[in-house]
Amino acid sequence: MSDAVNIRTLAPGTRVILANGAEAEIVSNPNDGVWLFGRYLSSVDDPGVVGVEEMIFAQDVVEVRP
Amino acid sequence: MPMNGTRGYHPGLVDLASGQISREIFVNEDIYAQEQERVFARSWLFVGHESQIPNPGDFFASRMGEESVILCRDRAGKVHVFLNSCRHRGMKVCRYDDGNTTVFTCPYHGWSFGTDGALVGVPFFREAYHSELDKSKWSLVEVAQLCCYKGTVWANWDASAPPFLEHLGEFRRFLDLILDGWDGREGQAELLGGVQKWIIPCNWKFPAENFSGDTYHNISHRSVDLVGAGPSGRSRRDYSELNVARKLHVAIPDRGHQTITYVLPKDHQPQPAYQNSPEVAEYFRHCEEERRKRPGANSRMIGAPGEIFPNVALLPRQPRTLAVWHPINAHQTEVWRFFFVDRDAPRVVKNFLRDYYIRYSGPAGMTEQDDMENWNYAHSASRGVIARRYPYTYEMGMGHAVENYEFEGLRVPGRVVDLTKAQASEEPMRNLYRRWAQFMEADSWDDLMTWRHEAARAAE
Repeated sequence: MSDAVNIRTLAPGTRVILANGAEAEIVSNPNDGVWLFGRYLSSVDDPGVVGVEEMIFAQDVVEVRP
Repeated sequence: MPMNGTRGYHPGLVDLASGQISREIFVNEDIYAQEQERVFARSWLFVGHESQIPNPGDFFASRMGEESVILCRDRAGKVHVFLNSCRHRGMKVCRYDDGNTTVFTCPYHGWSFGTDGALVGVPFFREAYHSELDKSKWSLVEVAQLCCYKGTVWANWDASAPPFLEHLGEFRRFLDLILDGWDGREGQAELLGGVQKWIIPCNWKFPAENFSGDTYHNISHRSVDLVGAGPSGRSRRDYSELNVARKLHVAIPDRGHQTITYVLPKDHQPQPAYQNSPEVAEYFRHCEEERRKRPGANSRMIGAPGEIFPNVALLPRQPRTLAVWHPINAHQTEVWRFFFVDRDAPRVVKNFLRDYYIRYSGPAGMTEQDDMENWNYAHSASRGVIARRYPYTYEMGMGHAVENYEFEGLRVPGRVVDLTKAQASEEPMRNLYRRWAQFMEADSWDDLMTWRHEAARAAE
């Protein structure tokens, strides 16, 4: 299991990889440490979500793109 | 003396025919539990002031009875009051006193709610819930009714209660005395500083009764008068214009609201006040002159301590403040005191008043400390099995209230006792407990809205 990502430090524009392999860009961060607002950039499981804005759960964030 | 064999509320504990009220209504834990359901769950309660949440996303964690609630302005600017409890397992979704946010997130399992109360975030919604949870059914619980009146926010859990202004009835003009500007302009009040909060070891009805208009206890503030804590360095308030006013108790019998008020003679001129600061004195002299030029009865009325049923105390002048007596249990009350100023008052006036307000009221206020000592010891000395057998007397001034009171052309609503010579009466307290007993006994708001039945009968 990878180290937990502290999502409170992530600024809008940051790209993150999710547990299902999808990639999203942060739109805004409510700074509650639990949720991010993000837009999907890619998703192998569900290509239909690309471009869609959704709330992203902290435990789903597995990697921050450099 | 009979033994207390009956648990909980029963008719007769409030005996207004004899003017006697049982101590049980203050110290009995079964009665306390009943009044949470019968009084607080269906009464209009003060939640906060719009000046606390000026911007979208602003919130203030408040209370309604024992319940924690969130007063917030959603992203579209609409004001809401929600139960501060996650719909999943009940954890508080807001644990800050106030702030600005886009979402209220439960720290337990991570459910997240928008500022409009909608459930917007459910962890593992697709995986664990298989996208089958109907999120629209699990929004934050919102109050049944909400009313923003001249900046103040009031809420009610009961959809069958009358609208707030109907509940207020003719008492509205006394609330206006605190919410309108010192110069008489409508709705100028804004909150000054934060809310003072503290816990006192007594039942919530002790302060509610006191602020209903207890002028009989002035002796307990003698030390404050002697110190000269007032804004002119004398007494505890500026009283000089009251020497020519009629001093009244006013009780609105079918609503349970009551107050002290002073009615000035026609063509009365402003008297010197706030003399500890020439600049502040001049500001108030100007405001008082402007107020007298405005039409309407309130230009001749001076507000004084009063109570909006059940648990909101108002003090429109010196200091200008609202207090809420939040019940914690039968033996403890959390007091929240809100201080007000005119929003466009000069900074020097606001600073002067901040000093005076907290010198007078709040946990460190000299006058409020006197009051708390009385309530706290009265409560503890009434808890014992022997003490409970002996009722309090509320006989003072029974049968001396009048209706259609008028002074130099100004009609005063409700039942009125002229205190100018009498000094004191217990008409306001009887009014408070009459309404309280009605709430304890009535099964529905239909039974409580007696004025509607009277209006219907009059129309027939």
